[in-house]
Amino acid sequence: MLNDKNVVLEAVKQEKHVSTKSTPTDLVTEADRLVEELIISTLRESFPSHRFIGEESCAAGEPCVLTDSPTWIIDPIDGTCNFVHSFPMVAVSIGFAVKKELEFGVIYHCFEETLYTARKGHGAFCNGLRLQVSKEKDVSKALILTEIGAKRDPETLALFLGNMEKLLRAPAHGVRIIGSSTLALCQVAAGAADAYYQFGLHCWDMAAAAIIIREAGGVVMDTSGGPLDLMSRRIVAAASQEVAGFIVQQLKPIGYERDDCGERHAVR
Amino acid sequence: MADWGKCLDFGVSIARQARTVVLDAFEAQKVVSLKTSPADLVTETDQGVENLLISAIKEKYPTHKFIGEESVAAGASPVLTDSPTWIIDPIDGTTNFVHRFPFVAISIAFAVNKQTEFGIVYSCMEDKLYRAQRGKGAFCNDIPLRTSGLEDITKALVVTEIGTERDDLSLSTLTSNIYRLLKIPIHGIRAVGTAAVDMCLVASAGADAYYHVGMHCWDIAASALIVSEAGGVVHDISGGKFDLMSRRVIAASSRTVARGIAQVVEAFPCERDDGLPDADQAIGALTQRDGHWVSNDFLKLPCDKPCGIVIESV
Repeated sequence: MLNDKNVVLEAVKQEKHVSTKSTPTDLVTEADRLVEELIISTLRESFPSHRFIGEESCAAGEPCVLTDSPTWIIDPIDGTCNFVHSFPMVAVSIGFAVKKELEFGVIYHCFEETLYTARKGHGAFCNGLRLQVSKEKDVSKALILTEIGAKRDPETLALFLGNMEKLLRAPAHGVRIIGSSTLALCQVAAGAADAYYQFGLHCWDMAAAAIIIREAGGVVMDTSGGPLDLMSRRIVAAASQEVAGFIVQQLKPIGYERDDCGERHAVR
Repeated sequence: MADWGKCLDFGVSIARQARTVVLDAFEAQKVVSLKTSPADLVTETDQGVENLLISAIKEKYPTHKFIGEESVAAGASPVLTDSPTWIIDPIDGTTNFVHRFPFVAISIAFAVNKQTEFGIVYSCMEDKLYRAQRGKGAFCNDIPLRTSGLEDITKALVVTEIGTERDDLSLSTLTSNIYRLLKIPIHGIRAVGTAAVDMCLVASAGADAYYHVGMHCWDIAASALIVSEAGGVVHDISGGKFDLMSRRVIAASSRTVARGIAQVVEAFPCERDDGLPDADQAIGALTQRDGHWVSNDFLKLPCDKPCGIVIESV
């Protein structure tokens, strides 16, 4: 993880060669691909039979299907737009699942040098200090984080802003947008924010953070209120069932194509 | 011409002292009160830090004047005169402070003859001390700052704030501004919860522009100078001359980006900090329809109702 962080920090100082993916605002750089290759090749050496789901590998055509096999789920640079702009919220995220159950997660905040970790049944930590969600139950005292997502058509934007406005009218204490879903989710785990919701993130954004939040005492679920579906491209995470439930009731869904393109395996 | 360098050094030293108070209080349980709305919070630490700063300055500079957020909330007059005046926000990002969300800043500006001579913003949790003196550049932890210089707004990362207003017109204006900016398109919108830090992100090239309506003079007096000393521009939200007391600002990497933002964002009416009448109260891109305020862009949306963004009558 330290190597990845160093690669990211060196790259952030340099001129970046930026391409776009699904929309003109969905950015990717050489560093994304380099970091993902570094992670996968290192892990493959130690665990040759394991499988990998990586953001850039999937973009290059690798299947994005979670099987029962031990699987590493990797976002090499979460917050690529931030990375391009040197906005200081960039993370490396690695989750690990076996039999489709999340077993552990690691997220490294590259600029702050904070390492968030969790292992199922063993708690969540930040640089060795135990993490605990805020336990806030009252949405009118909640600080809520979200992200806009890659789609920018008028209907999506209207839905996004409508959802945000409804929560502000709760009236929530505030809404924040920091440009990295993994780090935003870590803020919930750390008790520095009370909830996160988003349409449009990927399985590699959710995998590590979901287990970190659970192990910090929080809840994660689908935006419909059902169990979290790692491939669904949507999430609600919160410090309490009450706040999550309120958010679920307010949200109008924004459709994004599933990561596994139609396969309906519920993953926890 | 007076050199206010020694005043700046003094300002930096008291900002450092104030930061230790903020850090100590950050992890503790806070006693929170409300000011103008259920989202406009204040704590004892806000008041304590402001008292610490003002009493330290009064001891060293007994003739100087003050505009401080909590003093004004307690009834002091926020009028800027020609006298040497310290403009203080003891904790910018109080909501973040209450939640332990790690963007909290102390902001200290110093003006003489109504011109800002220096500005200090201390982002406490990040341990980043931003400072600028007029004509002498801008720095973060002594490293010189330069804005991104970006001219192409379609590649801009823009920072703003959600603000503390929760009335219909403010929320509608907030969301419709974001909508119009994203449609340009721009790379993205960020909102970290403190105007001072947002503007310092522009100064340090971490973002390309900041705009907001509703913040106060103490939130941006210091960071406006930091942005301009870093090579950026600071304008009114209409694109005209920046007015510290107007409660509106665009700060950007270039005039081109600032103009691009001014073309699409609108201001809701906001009482000036100095209480003077504001000539420009135009709503601009909003239209009254059936007693509702509706964004002109939303009138063109495919859905019947503008998807929750129409607000009730003003």
